[in-house]
Amino acid sequence: MRSPDAFLFAAFCAISMLPVDAGDVAELAHRIDHHIDARLAADGIAPVRSVNAAAFLRRVTLDLAGRIPTVPELDAYLAIEADQAKTAVVQQLIASPDYAFHARNQLDIMLLLPEEYNDKWREYLLEATKENRAWDRLFREILLPEDTLSTDVRPVAYLKRRVQDLDAMTNDASVTWLGVNISCAKCHDHPLVEDWTQAHYYGMASFFKRTLVTRKGFVTERFEGTTKYTNAEGAEIEAPLMFLTGATLEVPPLSIDGEELKQLQEKIKKAEQDEKAEDPPRPDFRPRSRFVDFVLADTDNRFFAKNLVNRTWARFFGRGLVHPLDQMHSQNPASHPELLNELADEVAVSGFDVKRLVHAIVLTKAFARGVRTESAAGPAPELFAVAVPRPLSPRQLSLSLRVAGRSPDSLTGLVGEEDWSKKRDELERQADGMARQLTIPGDDFQVSVSEALWFSNNQSMESEFLNGGGDRLVGHLKQIESDNDVARAAFRSVFSRNPDKDETNAVVEYVAARSERREAAIKQVVWAMLSSPEFRFNH
Amino acid sequence: MTNINRRTMLKAGTTALASSMALDVLSQPAMAEELARSGKSVIMLWLAGGASQFETWDPKPGRSTGGPFAKIQTSVPGIEISELMPKMSQRMDTTAIIRSLNTKIADHGQGYELMDTGRVKEPGVRFPHMGAILAHELGQIDSKVPDFVSMYTSTEGRRQGSAGFLGARYNPMFLTNKMMPEDIHRQDSITDSDHKDRAALRSFLAKRFVRDLQNPSIGSHENAYERVHGLMASDHLFDIEKEPQEMRDHYGPTQFGDQCLIARRLVDAGVPFVRVARAWWDSHGQNFETHRELCADLDHCMSALLDDLKQRGLLEKTLVITLGEFGRTPKINGSLGRDHFADAWSCSLSGCGIRGGTVFGKTDEDGKTVADGEMNAGDLFATIFAALGIEHDKEFMVGSRPIPIADFGSTPCQEVLA
Repeated sequence: MRSPDAFLFAAFCAISMLPVDAGDVAELAHRIDHHIDARLAADGIAPVRSVNAAAFLRRVTLDLAGRIPTVPELDAYLAIEADQAKTAVVQQLIASPDYAFHARNQLDIMLLLPEEYNDKWREYLLEATKENRAWDRLFREILLPEDTLSTDVRPVAYLKRRVQDLDAMTNDASVTWLGVNISCAKCHDHPLVEDWTQAHYYGMASFFKRTLVTRKGFVTERFEGTTKYTNAEGAEIEAPLMFLTGATLEVPPLSIDGEELKQLQEKIKKAEQDEKAEDPPRPDFRPRSRFVDFVLADTDNRFFAKNLVNRTWARFFGRGLVHPLDQMHSQNPASHPELLNELADEVAVSGFDVKRLVHAIVLTKAFARGVRTESAAGPAPELFAVAVPRPLSPRQLSLSLRVAGRSPDSLTGLVGEEDWSKKRDELERQADGMARQLTIPGDDFQVSVSEALWFSNNQSMESEFLNGGGDRLVGHLKQIESDNDVARAAFRSVFSRNPDKDETNAVVEYVAARSERREAAIKQVVWAMLSSPEFRFNH
Repeated sequence: MTNINRRTMLKAGTTALASSMALDVLSQPAMAEELARSGKSVIMLWLAGGASQFETWDPKPGRSTGGPFAKIQTSVPGIEISELMPKMSQRMDTTAIIRSLNTKIADHGQGYELMDTGRVKEPGVRFPHMGAILAHELGQIDSKVPDFVSMYTSTEGRRQGSAGFLGARYNPMFLTNKMMPEDIHRQDSITDSDHKDRAALRSFLAKRFVRDLQNPSIGSHENAYERVHGLMASDHLFDIEKEPQEMRDHYGPTQFGDQCLIARRLVDAGVPFVRVARAWWDSHGQNFETHRELCADLDHCMSALLDDLKQRGLLEKTLVITLGEFGRTPKINGSLGRDHFADAWSCSLSGCGIRGGTVFGKTDEDGKTVADGEMNAGDLFATIFAALGIEHDKEFMVGSRPIPIADFGSTPCQEVLA
């Protein structure tokens, strides 16, 4: 068997030939740090030091691969010269199949509703993340599935989930893709934000008003339909199509007569009710498609590009440059406006290359900072002087439990081999059941007591993660003679680090006190680690 | 620990965790308010599918909309209810009836969202269920008992009620096919002392990691694990076998009766909010047969519950609410059914903070519209909060947006408040 070090070195060498312009992303990372450092210097704040190599590997693997690193990966990483290691491992992770799976999982959380699970949709997203599909193309496919992928109903899921609820369709499109929450302007002009008026809300709703999904599952639009609203003075107003920027669009008069319209409406009605009905004809004027045009043509405000940058940034820093993520407006400026602008330009010029942005972000010094500050209060979070511990997503947690629960030997050579992509796919499916029971973290996330009870008492914890079988962590640990070594091996598998003296002693004492039931004691030690916050959070 | 002791340990003293949670910062209750509501609980009898007001609290015998059942005089002079509720008719002294709900939404999905949260759904904001609000307001952050228990009935489906923007700390403990919460018992493969010892080892490792980190999410993780053994020890509350046979007979042999009895055991132990659902009232056909059967169960179990609470001195600090997502149409359809109707319907409030023996609001003589005292969902929520001593206009801060605990513009109905 090849040693893990040799294996990873081979992988690194192979990667150096990949067509990624390492200098380019390094330069972008440098520019990001320049902006962050400039504000820190101006405020007289010294940033927290970078985490050590093992902690960086755990963080970046969770963030790029969606799981904790394996022990062979940890060994290989620590064996490499520090100054090359970071660039190399980031490049390896970015190129690995894991990246696409995790990027898909993150997209799924962002785009579909929390309670929704849709296999076909997830398959579609995975295809997109595997080829690093451009963000504007993805947007087009999801918002205009009928234009771009006429035979592929999978991306329809996004609109289909919301089509019964015009408000949800309007506001979610605005929040998710543009970073703007306009729902407060529904019943009156936004009470706190001058930018958003009722006209914006209903103007945006007008773009979606005509959208429908046929019984067959295809999205299309009606020939007529506008939104009306009552303003604060009680007057009823018919809303023109109006984008966030205030740009409006006249609805052209229908070129067909009443009788013809009636027939078209009949056809549409039939297609809505009958799976066998033929696809209804499409109108020439389609407001939703005009919305997509407005979004992509907006080169002044660039909501679309800024939102992509902001959401991507928040994935790695726990908060956006504009925060909250759906409050992009004049009264809530970015913490680093120039950085946001520059990155928005960058992504637009790069053809909305998400991977390149991610690559640069994880190479920054800002991303590698520790989570602990000297003073209790700590610097303001928007300075990014200190990293914020982030709860694992349900899938990150479920996958990480599976990785941690395996024997390190069984993982040697597994990650990175040819069939890893297939294995990873299997792992994703195994992680499904548990992931779907856990809460998806949002702002001010709280862990529920039902999760703690599940970890404490559920049968699956015992059977899946604390199993003493030969290819499992507990099975591996019970073969180790010295309790000191048990502590060390357990810590490396679960926490991706070595224990300190006190921790080793605590484990050794715990196991020694139960020498007549050593396997049970080892299970309990592993349980105590898997259920600790050090495992539950990315830090 | 007794109920009183548990609740008199005021929230004010609890850990940095509570005050660091974003929402609590803005909802630090004044001491007086805290005292006013200490020890208070709610049992919600949820009439899933929508019960008919005609066959319960607002009968119209002799009218074309009235159906076949008579009305009967209650123990309170001047108040008459349906003859399908004979036991409750003798217990009106602690109950107030509201006959003037106009909630407009007569669709199950949107209707129960409205009556769960007291507001119309809005995109971009997840409103909490009443149970989560009351767990937040009446419970303790480190409570050793659950603070929002929701019982499932197969007909109603797995609708749990979400804590919305209050966060998962306030999610309900949801009872599925068993009467016992999931994962509340340890596995046989580990002894009780090992179970506690490994938790202590967990805590040791956790504290070394947390040290000086002031992160509210990590705080909530620790808080959840700290509550585990307390909750495990509360399993007996769900064990109906612990009740004497006489008491079980009192509640009767139905599942609803058992759940009401468990609800009483829970509030007696200090659980602030318990929701018991009785289904399925959605009588589009055979409305009268359906109500003959379901009202008998409701009448019996509700009466048994009120008697039991009263006898134990719990009724004055326990509010019992009967509510569904809407009422039923005045028009009797071709299948002798009544359809969904939200324009003029009824609910009842009993016990804590309520002026018993009152009827508020009025429908017209056929029950088609509200004739007097119209109330919407927000007003009902404001009334419920007021009965529990909670200011109905206090605000949560959600992102940059202030959200009052009862919907904007709602007012408590003073007439039904003690």
